[in-house]
Amino acid sequence: MKGIDQYIEFFRSERQRIDAGSQAVMNAQREAAAEALQRLGFPTQKVERYKYTDVAAAFAPNYGISLAAASAPQLEEALISRYGTLARVEDDALTALNTMLAQELIVVHAAAGEHREHPVQITNTLRATAPLMQNRRLLIIAEAGADVQVILGDRAEAQQDFLTTQVTEVFVGEGARVALYDIEDTHDRCHRFHQVFAQVAAGGHLTHTAFTLASGVSRNQTDVQLVGEGADVQLLGCAILNGQQHVDNNTLIDHRAPGCTSRELYKYVVDQQATGAFAGRVLVRQEAQQTDSVERNANLVCTDQARMWTQPMLEIYADDVKCSHGSTVGQLNEAALFYMRQRGISESEARMLLKQAFASEVLHEIPLEALRQRLHMQVEKRFRSCDDCKLCKKE
Amino acid sequence: MLEIKNLHATVGGKEILKGIDLTVRDGEMHALMGLNGAGKSTLSNVLVGHPAYTVTEGSVTFNGKDLLAMSPDERSHEGLFLSFQQPVEIPGVSMVNFMRAALNAKRKYQGLEPLDAGSFLKLMREKRKIVELDNKLMSRSVNEGFSGGERKRNEIFQMAMLEPTMCILDETDSGLDVDALRIVAEGFNKLRTPQTSAIVITHYQRLLDYLKPDIVHVLIDGRIVKTGGPELAAEIEERGFDWLR
Ligand SMILES: Nc1ncnc2c1ncn2[C@@H]1O[C@H](COP(=O)(O)OP(=O)(O)OP(=O)(O)O)[C@@H](O)[C@H]1O
Ligand SMILES: [Mg+2]
Repeated sequence: MKGIDQYIEFFRSERQRIDAGSQAVMNAQREAAAEALQRLGFPTQKVERYKYTDVAAAFAPNYGISLAAASAPQLEEALISRYGTLARVEDDALTALNTMLAQELIVVHAAAGEHREHPVQITNTLRATAPLMQNRRLLIIAEAGADVQVILGDRAEAQQDFLTTQVTEVFVGEGARVALYDIEDTHDRCHRFHQVFAQVAAGGHLTHTAFTLASGVSRNQTDVQLVGEGADVQLLGCAILNGQQHVDNNTLIDHRAPGCTSRELYKYVVDQQATGAFAGRVLVRQEAQQTDSVERNANLVCTDQARMWTQPMLEIYADDVKCSHGSTVGQLNEAALFYMRQRGISESEARMLLKQAFASEVLHEIPLEALRQRLHMQVEKRFRSCDDCKLCKKE
Repeated sequence: MLEIKNLHATVGGKEILKGIDLTVRDGEMHALMGLNGAGKSTLSNVLVGHPAYTVTEGSVTFNGKDLLAMSPDERSHEGLFLSFQQPVEIPGVSMVNFMRAALNAKRKYQGLEPLDAGSFLKLMREKRKIVELDNKLMSRSVNEGFSGGERKRNEIFQMAMLEPTMCILDETDSGLDVDALRIVAEGFNKLRTPQTSAIVITHYQRLLDYLKPDIVHVLIDGRIVKTGGPELAAEIEERGFDWLR
């Protein structure tokens, strides 16, 4: 059994158990999801938004799925009625697959005007003795004027093959603020597909940070609709890759209302034979006058075998806008490297300092002090272990 | 301590150094003068092991060791320091982190433990005073947004931190105003010990008035064409280089 069929057949045969451990609202959408998946198939690399990542290959192996047996306590209808309204199964196979199989749903809800001082922290640790697939859902709802921060941590403790799909829906109400930090620190046997669908109402603000400290194959898709006047989004990303790793960030910022702002900064450090991809589309619709948008992707490619694809896209249908986009691909600054070595700093340490300096621009944008410091340390640790290992030594 | 013999070097396939012989003994200060493009910076860069320069012939020994066989960081640990003609910016790497990495690398080479945070900051403060370098520059990235003069002071500050025994000053005086020149030159003199040697590259007598070199060399087209005492510098100031060609 290969490809998509193994998942659909699994769904058909385990439907009862899947439903038993889930919210009714999730179960109500499974059939449509299965049909969509059947119809769409896994996206090939001919599909524009998937051209940098081989989805079918990632899903080809036979993963086990552990099902929650217990019946889930049913959440209020009013709270979860928004489930599946942004993450539409009709046009995206990965969203369809996740919707068909996901049992686990986490809801973060901030009532109107509620200010949560402390971030909600959700850490997912992968442990298994056989190849494992996980399908997760997250629903974040910030009602008007609310303020909430969510830190997602993905870790893997076992040296095992893992496949994770996650779909996150984020509703930012009028004048609300949501900060979502998605931090992956897994290993090279992990495949991860994360689809984020967000909607920002008038005067609302969303910050989304995708930090890939370590991974195997990761594809993060982040789609943001700015639907109310003066809505604002900041997308940040940092990916550190070596070995055979692959990170693909694919974003869409959809300006649908006037006077909205968007800022986007993604930085990659690609070492050894790793491959990175960034595709960021900013769409400014005709009604989105006075849009202010800046998109930037900067990449350090450390070896001849490392690869980086970058594709910033700006599509403008309004006439009174201020938009810019750009991307750079460069190597470590040789002059700076030599300056440091003249001062006695070893080549590997100098390289580490320069890579860290490169990544620090993204870190500086993170307002949560404790998180920023922790990431600083993790980034340093990551670069060190990468440089200390023999494989990483550039000759 | 530093012995350069028949040194030939190329950059970008072009021969720039065409047989340099130069010996600098412990405690000596040598001045190196010469027209633009003569190869003075090339010599500095070759000595500190810049990868863009290729030595095609000759040898350099430093305290009895084969300098050319050492990596740039080893040369630094052995006591060689270059105050760059054009110090580069290192965006994102703070002066403090940079200096800590450099100092601790040297201490490790000497078999010493890294300096604790308190002692390190105290040392930074002391050494900064020698060249009157503003504290606010320490929290910035290395040389980023530093004025030309601040960069040159920063070079001598780093020298003060690392206490090299062989210093090469490549036009440290350029970009400095009259007061800064005095501060930097006097700072450098304070840092000198009887063992410290130096090669001072300059176009002007002014710096040499402070540093008082023992020996002056003139480099033209990749060769040392004349060597003399301090009076040679004064003569060049007056007559230029034409008479030496
Ligand atoms: N990295 C390099 N690539 C190509 N050519 C170089 C490089 N470095 C030096 N050169 C060339 O070598 C020659 C000598 O340059 P060098 O910098 O050593 O001169 P200099 O004596 O220091 O001059 P100045 O007094 O202007 O500083 C010049 O013709 C210069 O263009
Ligand atoms: Mg020069």
